[in-house]
This record gives sequence, C-alpha cells and structure tokens, in this order.
Amino acid sequence: MTDCVRDMAEKECEIDLGNLMAFDPHYHFVSPTSSREDVVKEALEQGRRLAQAVVDALFSLPSTEDRDGPIVKLPEPTTKLPREKPFPKPKPPTKWELFAQKKGINNRKKEKLVFDEQTANWKRRHGYDRVNDDKDIPIIEAKATDEPGKDPFAERQKEKKSRVDRQEKNRLQNLKQVAKSGALPSHIQLAATALPITGTKSMPKKVGKDELQNVAGLASTATASGGKFDKKLPGEKPPKHEKKYRKFLPAAEGSGMGALEKQQTEKVLNNLISKNSHEILNIEKAVNMYNVKKEKRQSKRGGTYSSKLKPEKRSFKKSPSSKSLKKKGSSSKGKSK
Amino acid sequence: MRPLDEKETTQVFNKLHKFVGGNLKNIVLDNQSHEGPDSNPGRYCFRLQKNRVYYVSESLVRRATNIKREKLVSLGTQIGKFTQAGKFHLTIQSLNLLAANAKHKVWLKPTSEMSFLYGNSVLKGGVGRITENIQVNDGVVVFSMADVPLGFGDAAKSTVDCRKMDPNGIVVHRHADIGEYLRMEDEL
Repeated sequence: MTDCVRDMAEKECEIDLGNLMAFDPHYHFVSPTSSREDVVKEALEQGRRLAQAVVDALFSLPSTEDRDGPIVKLPEPTTKLPREKPFPKPKPPTKWELFAQKKGINNRKKEKLVFDEQTANWKRRHGYDRVNDDKDIPIIEAKATDEPGKDPFAERQKEKKSRVDRQEKNRLQNLKQVAKSGALPSHIQLAATALPITGTKSMPKKVGKDELQNVAGLASTATASGGKFDKKLPGEKPPKHEKKYRKFLPAAEGSGMGALEKQQTEKVLNNLISKNSHEILNIEKAVNMYNVKKEKRQSKRGGTYSSKLKPEKRSFKKSPSSKSLKKKGSSSKGKSK
Repeated sequence: MRPLDEKETTQVFNKLHKFVGGNLKNIVLDNQSHEGPDSNPGRYCFRLQKNRVYYVSESLVRRATNIKREKLVSLGTQIGKFTQAGKFHLTIQSLNLLAANAKHKVWLKPTSEMSFLYGNSVLKGGVGRITENIQVNDGVVVFSMADVPLGFGDAAKSTVDCRKMDPNGIVVHRHADIGEYLRMEDEL
C-alpha cells in the first residue's frame, strides 16, 4: 500500500478523500491534433488511473471491520466547491434599525427569564405566561382620573391588542420595503402575493362553498367517461348537474309560434279531446229521453188496456227519474182508478 | 318569457277544458288576432313569464322578445299561474275568455250578486238560472242576470240535485270573482 501512495506522489495526483475526488493538475494532453478516438481513449485511461488512486487512498485509511466489509471514516474535504445559488441580497434596514442607528442605540442581550414580583417566581420575558402578564393582576388600583363605568381590565386588553396590531403593521411595512428591493427571504416569497406585503389594490377573492362545489363538479366530470368510472372519494357527493339543463322551445320563431310548439299544442289538445270524447254523448240525458219516449208509447197503449195494473207498477218505479214521468204516472194512475 | 313545456301545457289545457269543454279548440287553434302591423291575422299562444301563464297574440310575442325577462312585467292576457307546488290555478283575468266559451253557466239574482263579489260561494237561494247537465266538480262561470260575467268556480252539486236542495246549500264553490280586482289588487 505504501508503494501505491508513493506511486501517486510521483505522478503528482492530488487526492481529496472528503469529496472522494482526485485530479492531476500537471497533466497535459500530448497532441491536440490527434483524432477524437485517441482523445477518448486517453481520457478513459487517465480517469481509470485517478479512480484507482482514490480507491488506493481509501484502502490505506484506518478501517473497522463490519458485517458488510471494512468501514472507513472520510477526512474533511479540502477542495472548496463553488456555491450553487447567488448570495442573498442584503436586506434594507427596518425603520427601527434606522432610528436606532441615528440615535446610537445598541442592542443589548437580555436574560430570557425574569423574576416576576406578582407571582414571586421566575418567568419568561416574552410570550405565553410571561412576566407582568395581564391575567396575573387580580386588582387594579383606582386612580383619581378614572372614569366611572369603564372596565380597566378591558382597557388594558384593548391597549395590548392595539400594540400587537401596530407591530404587525410595522412588520408588513418593513416587508414591503424588502420586497421592493428584491431581497425577500424565500420562505415568505409565496405569501408575498397576498395583499398586505405587495400592496395590490384588489383583495384576494374568498372562494365560496358553492363555487368550490361547482369547480369540484367540473373537475370530477372532466374525464373521457364524464367521471362515470372514477372512484369516488369517501364522502364525495355526486355532482350537482349530472344531466343537461332543461331545454325549452324558443320564445318566438317565425310568425311567433314555432312549428314544434304548434305540434306540441295540437298533440296535447287532441289527447285531451279524445280522452273526453265520451262526454259528447250525455248518457243521463239520453237515458231520460229514452225513458220519456218509452213512457209515451206505453201511455198510448195504456189507454187501450186501462184496466191492467202492470203499467201502474212500471210508472211507479221510474217516476223519480223525471218530472214528466211523474206527471204521466199520476195521470195513468187516475185513469186506472 | 318562454313557451309552456308539454307537462305544463297539459295542466293548462285540462283546467281550461273543465270550464269550456270542446270550445277549447276554439281558444287554442281557431281564435284569430288582428293585432300588430301584419295584414294576415295571427293566432294566439300561451307563454309563461315568472310562473304566470299569458294568452298572447303571436305578433305581441314577437315584439315582447325585445324586453329582457327580468324587466317584462306582463304581456297579453294573464289566464293563470303556476303555484309554488307546481299546480295550475286560473286567475280572474281569464274570466272574459272563459265567459265567451263557457259550457256551464249560473246566473245570479241581483240580491246575491254582492255576496258573491265579496268572495262567498253561490247558494241555492241566489241562483236565478242554471244550465242543464252540470255534473259535480264541473267548472261553472257565474253571470249576473244582465249577462255580465262575475266570476267562476266549481259545481258543488249537479243540476238535478240542485232542484231538490234547501236554499242555503252551496251550489258553486268560488274560484275567482271580479271583486278580487279591488280586494287583492297587489297580488293580481
């Protein structure tokens, strides 16, 4: 092994084991005019030589035995590789930073934990359950300037909210300045399309439930089979308009009524009339007339056989059906008597 | 404004048929309008606009297409409306059409005219004359003795049964009367 290393030293290979890399800074191709095939051949040969050098170096490292074979720990890489992305642009200073610079204010480090006198123990300086928290104050002392009817607790709450709001506003204002100079950090570049940072006029539109459903319905039917064979998601409802919308005849066509409409009207009318065609014959009236005629005939005959009781019976049966019959019946009765 | 579809047409024709019987053919096919600038007379047709059914001449239909649906309040003669439940009701505006073609008629005595116009049913005591062959549930048009149409309704009793009724019995259930023009002015 030591021979190999010495060999490589002679051939002046530089090996960077951290990057598993070897190169020969002094090598020159002999003749640039030689044919392409020769160049390829030579490059392969040199590549093989360098790879051999890397492998040799690897095996010369102190190794530990493992089930899969020897394991070595690579040294730190020595070659500096160039950076993939450009440097981030410097952020413009925020308003506070400008102010602090003008006034000569320096940032001092403060401890995270502070002793809280209200609760007599150590608490965080900022955030949840912090020192001097509003909710730790059970009683607020009344002052002479206090107005009656105002809740001091609510006022403190309101004050705090306004402070938070102001800070948020300042933050967005600073982000706007950053966005203008093009140095917006990547993690908020997507969010920057929202209104407060880029300062666009139109509010981002809120998508309603119906709109979403419509879009979902369109998407679910946008396959070759119209969504027929798609697997449904659990809880997915069928699209709202599976079928075509109702189609009506045109409101006006030609002289006003289209041929189709005329056809439809006539069809419905004929149906209706044929269904009610039996009403042309008024059965009750026909029966009445028939009875009257019959009665007249019988009464004529009844004059000849006046002594018989039969016509009397018949007339009694049929008398309630019509007045005329009744009259006849009574007359016949008189005759029979 | 749109034409009625087949189902709606059937509903409308059924209702009209109840009142005018075979004269329906006259209303739907034969009636000719001389409206508009055209020299040859056009026919009448039925149009639906905002759930109300109108009996309109063809020339008027053509001209009404210029007005957009939301702005079109009314056209031609309203004859009825489709209720929220999808049923078809004849309205009082259809009275002239019905009266001209009516099959079954009832004439009211002058004393009971007012009662009918206030929205009451027709009682036996108020009937001056009645046409023959009225069956129960037939559509009946109500006239004054001077042959002025007053309204229409359903027959509660057949003509034959009427003869034997007591004077306080109901002969015609009211559907609509011309008193509605005053009483229900906003709804018409």
